[in-house]
Amino acid sequence: MWYSSIFLRTLRSYRVAIAGWGIGMGLVVLQPLAAASTVVGTAAGRASLTQVASAFAFNAAPVALGTVAGYATWKVGVFMLIMAVWPLLAASRTLRGEEERGSLDVLLSVPRPRACVALEKLAAMWTALLAMAAMIGLIVFVGSRSFNPGFRLGDALLFGLDLALVCAVFGGLALLISQFTLDRRQAAGGTGALLLVFVVLDSVHRLFPGTEWVSRLSPVYYYNLSKPLVTSYGTSVGGMFVMLALTLVLSGAAVWLFTRRDVGGVVPLPGWLKLPRPAAPRGRALPVDDWSLRGVYLRSLAMIAVPTFWWTVGIAGFAAFMVVGVAQVEKTISGMATTGSVIKTVVEKVGGGDVQTNATLLSAIFALLPVLLMAFAVTQVSRWSADEEEGRLELVLSTPQPRQRVLLGRFAALITATLTIGVLTLAASAVAAAAVGLKLNGGNLAAATLGIIPMGLLVAAIGYLASGWLHAAVDTGLVSFLIAIWFFISLVGPELQWPEAILRLSAFYYYGTPLVQGLQVTSVLGLVVVSVLALGAGLWRFAGKDIAR
Amino acid sequence: MAAIVDVEGLTKSYGGERGIVDVSFQLEEGEVFGFLGPNGAGKTTTIRLLMALLRADAGVARIAGLDCSRDSLAIKQLVGYAPCELSLDPDLTGGQILEYLGHRRGGVDQSYLLQLIERLDLDPTRKFRQYSQGNKRKVILVQALMHRPRVVILDEPTSGLDPLNQHEFGRLVDELGREGRSVFLSSHVLSEVEQWCSRVAIIREGHIVRVGDVAEVKDIKRYEITIVFAAPVPAEVFERLDGVVRAETTAGGHGLRLTMHGTADAVIKAAAQYPVISISSHEPSLEDIFLRYYEVDGRAVREATRVV
Repeated sequence: MWYSSIFLRTLRSYRVAIAGWGIGMGLVVLQPLAAASTVVGTAAGRASLTQVASAFAFNAAPVALGTVAGYATWKVGVFMLIMAVWPLLAASRTLRGEEERGSLDVLLSVPRPRACVALEKLAAMWTALLAMAAMIGLIVFVGSRSFNPGFRLGDALLFGLDLALVCAVFGGLALLISQFTLDRRQAAGGTGALLLVFVVLDSVHRLFPGTEWVSRLSPVYYYNLSKPLVTSYGTSVGGMFVMLALTLVLSGAAVWLFTRRDVGGVVPLPGWLKLPRPAAPRGRALPVDDWSLRGVYLRSLAMIAVPTFWWTVGIAGFAAFMVVGVAQVEKTISGMATTGSVIKTVVEKVGGGDVQTNATLLSAIFALLPVLLMAFAVTQVSRWSADEEEGRLELVLSTPQPRQRVLLGRFAALITATLTIGVLTLAASAVAAAAVGLKLNGGNLAAATLGIIPMGLLVAAIGYLASGWLHAAVDTGLVSFLIAIWFFISLVGPELQWPEAILRLSAFYYYGTPLVQGLQVTSVLGLVVVSVLALGAGLWRFAGKDIAR
Repeated sequence: MAAIVDVEGLTKSYGGERGIVDVSFQLEEGEVFGFLGPNGAGKTTTIRLLMALLRADAGVARIAGLDCSRDSLAIKQLVGYAPCELSLDPDLTGGQILEYLGHRRGGVDQSYLLQLIERLDLDPTRKFRQYSQGNKRKVILVQALMHRPRVVILDEPTSGLDPLNQHEFGRLVDELGREGRSVFLSSHVLSEVEQWCSRVAIIREGHIVRVGDVAEVKDIKRYEITIVFAAPVPAEVFERLDGVVRAETTAGGHGLRLTMHGTADAVIKAAAQYPVISISSHEPSLEDIFLRYYEVDGRAVREATRVV
């Protein structure tokens, strides 16, 4: 049955993603629902939380914070948009990925219009998103019954639908961009960068009054118009309609362009948009002076340069933007801190540390920096695994050099990239703090930004090690899952007062809150040692394994 | 002459799946050696074991007296390798790939490299992803030959090449042989092995079924002639002719399909006695030969498995 149509075949290939994202995101929402009573259980706590949340408006607009559902909606905030990563990857893969592999030629050789093939694949992606939405809604509804959250099954399903719609917008965007790129990774990377930009755009109006028109340019703004779990706030039909319309327009444009371009080619851009290409005379075209071809490390560096640039822009830009945002609320928070001890406790729960410092606020946001760098490491793990699996290492490994040198060359390039990202994030944050006059401890800022480097390298080393046994997709899934679990433990554990032994299982435990507490040398060294051990084991495995193809 | 490639009892399995079993053969220095077998027979597995990309379960392979597994680095200095699969960084140009691999190998003569590019009519300025299958194959072949290796290992090297480039590649193989370099060439095309190689090994379902001179392999070569007549003809007239192994009628007696072994002279003369509409001849695939020659006739299988 599953192979009777392109729609069903594609949907079948999404079954693991549906289960993983559906259950995972459902649990993410369930966690603050479970923890809400410890924060909003008393009148004083509710009042303080309301004041604090207004200062954390970049995350989400604070609505009905005194309720279980309101607290949970605010707490998960922007984090829910991580689910948009799936449709942007899936949409980049669905046509462009198949073209890269050459399998689309076969698919299009059957007597079926090209548009139908594309629409069936698109419909499968939309169905998968709806299935995820239904799972999230059901998990949230069933799991929250004992907390008396005050919403019904319909509200929970609408919450899932709202998320599915914004995800579908980014899927449509990725599909459209993939019509202009020869490489699915470029389409995914470009859409990922736009996702980050739109998240920031959406938060602008919550930080800077009178800028709502800017936020309206972001699809995320329309997602945030609905808060279905907060029954007093409800769902914005208009917002959902805008997202649906955007999805249809973007996807429709993508399919229309797909039916008119060459398979394996791209939509031709107007001449003024094309980059000039120097004409290399034939016979003299061998790039004998190209520095990037002189070694595995240099070649790997050249390969990683463009993604590193974009990830640096994203991570450093995010850090700098948040420094500016925190400066806006600094005075408010400082004033609130003197009003009572409950508010102090609440801020500490969110950020960890002393409310008298600006670092406390920023620390809560900077906890996302290692996640972002780890995500970058995952993309590089995926590329390494895929290169080996698809035979792209075969010829390099047939040259007279040890296998270990090839792996170390790639890993050294990744170390260089993560160092670059860390250092430039430090520089961007320091410059932003100086520009807006936000006082921060320089040493702690360095610890917070450079401390993300071992976190990224830990994920990379584990991924390289696992690639010795696992296929690329499984390897990528494993390290992604590991990050999600670690993040979940660090998010849920402290609030639910889990034992220290469990909290120590998460890598984020060792990152800590360096902006507040400074560099934890032992923890950083621990991360480095584990990374070195994983890399050493990965080298040993790679040296002796059968090279896959 | 000394054996430059010496394979003894090489065995490799992929979990429960068959790879190769007890494969043994020798390649003499300066010899062009064909490695024939249908798809999935174990040709690529054998070659990847020689290149130390796979680890053998049992047996040993040596190149120039060096163990392929233990001394793989030293061996890779002697060897040029062209894999069957066309997987390389799609964002690099052909020229960048050749320069990169040249730096990894060392000892590449740029003028010889340019000469190879010219002879195979390769445009090195285009990105690998933009190349046709044939041009991708050219990049793979050039990098295997550019450092003038002592031993060249080529896995289905003509796959995707047009006839002109196949011809040029044949000339390159001839030259390598004349220069005293050893060539180990896998293929499933009987005629090209016949044309370029002096000796041949045949592998099927992971087992070597025959090793010997090309002339011996020619013994198993058969081809088919299909003749369409204006009127029905008696098949038995053709069955008795020299060179005909089997004759069967088609299209209600108007067509005749002949399985041939040897010259077609008698058939052509006999066909001329009848009004002929069309005549065509084609070489059966190696797979067809194996199926017919080694499977249908059980006795032949047993005879063929002896190594000569």
